[in-house]
Amino acid sequence: MFSVRIWGDRGSMPVPGPDTVAFGGNTSCLEIRCGRRLIVIDAGSGVRGLGDWLVRNELKNGPIDADVFITHTHWDHIMGFPMFTPIYVPGTTLRIRGPVNFEDETLEQIIGGQLSYRYWPVRQDELAAKIRYESLKETELDLGDGVVVKTKYLNHPVLCLGYRVEYEGKAFVTAYDHEPFINLFPTDPADPDYDEAVAREGEAAAREENERVEAFFRGAELLVHDTQYTAKEYKAGKQGWGHSSYEHAINAANRAGVKRLLLFHHDPNRSDAELQELELFYQAKTRGRTSMAVDVAREGMTVNLA
Amino acid sequence: MDATDSARRLKAYIAGMPSLPTTVSKVLEICNSPKTSPVDLDRVISLDPVLMGKVLKLINSAYYGLSNQVTSLVRAIIMLGVNTVKNLALSTAVLDRFADKSGFRALNMEGFWRHSLCVGAVAKMIAKKKGVEARLLDEYFAAGLLHDIGKIPMNNALSDEYLRAMGLADRERIPLYLAEKRAMDLDHAEVGAMIAAAWRLDGPIADAIRYHHAFGLYEGESADIVLAVIVADYYANREGVGFSGCLYPEKPAPELFERLGVPKAWLEDIDDAVNAEIERASVFLKLRS
Repeated sequence: MFSVRIWGDRGSMPVPGPDTVAFGGNTSCLEIRCGRRLIVIDAGSGVRGLGDWLVRNELKNGPIDADVFITHTHWDHIMGFPMFTPIYVPGTTLRIRGPVNFEDETLEQIIGGQLSYRYWPVRQDELAAKIRYESLKETELDLGDGVVVKTKYLNHPVLCLGYRVEYEGKAFVTAYDHEPFINLFPTDPADPDYDEAVAREGEAAAREENERVEAFFRGAELLVHDTQYTAKEYKAGKQGWGHSSYEHAINAANRAGVKRLLLFHHDPNRSDAELQELELFYQAKTRGRTSMAVDVAREGMTVNLA
Repeated sequence: MDATDSARRLKAYIAGMPSLPTTVSKVLEICNSPKTSPVDLDRVISLDPVLMGKVLKLINSAYYGLSNQVTSLVRAIIMLGVNTVKNLALSTAVLDRFADKSGFRALNMEGFWRHSLCVGAVAKMIAKKKGVEARLLDEYFAAGLLHDIGKIPMNNALSDEYLRAMGLADRERIPLYLAEKRAMDLDHAEVGAMIAAAWRLDGPIADAIRYHHAFGLYEGESADIVLAVIVADYYANREGVGFSGCLYPEKPAPELFERLGVPKAWLEDIDDAVNAEIERASVFLKLRS
């Protein structure tokens, strides 16, 4: 079995309410099953539902053991951790990994630090679970049981990793929170700061980094990609915020030969009706031009990869 | 040897010290601006090929584990962002200048820098605790890191006298700066001020160097930074993190804690965080070669 279940797909902030019933209001959390291995990507508010489900359905078979990968430490990706019930259950083992900026505190302080009296009635020291933290870089990890996880730095205002989970010859990839790399240096010779060599190097750097990101999701069975904005919204002042447009995600995934693309990290202001409309719009646009399936991620959906 | 002779030898030594290049002050200035542009950052780092080499080396170090070699600053800024590169440059620029082994006779170099890193780290933690703006945090760190810079020329140009001063402090159980004053007619804060003047370094960092043992005389505008360094220095000496040469430091008066707005008891809880900070900062020192 190789499957992905979505417990949270929203960006920035949980948005419960009548307008977010179909696509979901919880922030990011993915449950990946590779045979008997459980991998969780991100502990946004969606991780609460996953935790309760695990305790209800799987605890009876033995203690919960999971590899938790955090894409980055922005709050919407870690906020659900204190409500992840297995941390209070003796016998639970969690290996939590994620990237940390040089300047920041440790992963344990950032994520586990949410369990301190100022934020929460239970302190980290009081947790029953066995939790090990490890800061992660661009790397390749062999988790055992035939599961390999590769990581790639993405473009976001804080260090952020994409994950590529490989199992039984298939790959599942995440590319959020991410926006395409762009040249930050002036390219207009009329600009007083223009420097030809710098402009050229900047262009090459952005292009090559984008190629490396695409190579990272090449041939993936399933890609979950950041699509917080439309191209129009992105161009109207959202560049540099660290999120992609639908158009970028679709084009990049298509170039990389991805088989199925899930549009993910929905803007908190996007209603069900709007997401439905966007899904139909982009499906119509891609139909007949690519064999890649394109859907908007929905909370609760499961995709079987093998 | 008389006092004038000591001063003369110190001055000669300071004149021969690698000057604080304009790059470091420029990096500080640019990095303290909340809207550093990629162009400015690239230019200021490129001014100093050595600094640029170090920044690239750090980016390519195991810390980031990048799978492809980054060979240009422009690329580093695009890949890792302005903020990351800015912070790397700042720490590298400041630390790299002063982590020079050659100046150490009486004091042990590792111990001295560990003490300095600890004071820098704790000063920065105090600033965070006080809710100081993020863009000023590095200034607290630099002030703490450099507060004892005056000990470098004293160690080197007057190493026999310095050993005597350390012996005197030990026998009479007095703070080292008082013993320095008796043995050489100058203390490391005054010598540090000479260095700051030679480097045209002014503002809070220079104030912390000059007044960290003489807060009563301080009339400038950066009392918070000076006080943070005094308290951080006390912490480092008390906890024995590194070694500054001072076994009998003065305890800061209770009203100084009050004025700083950080309770003395808070210092009891920060050991783990301080160690983690020092370990992080020492990555830069290990990169010397």
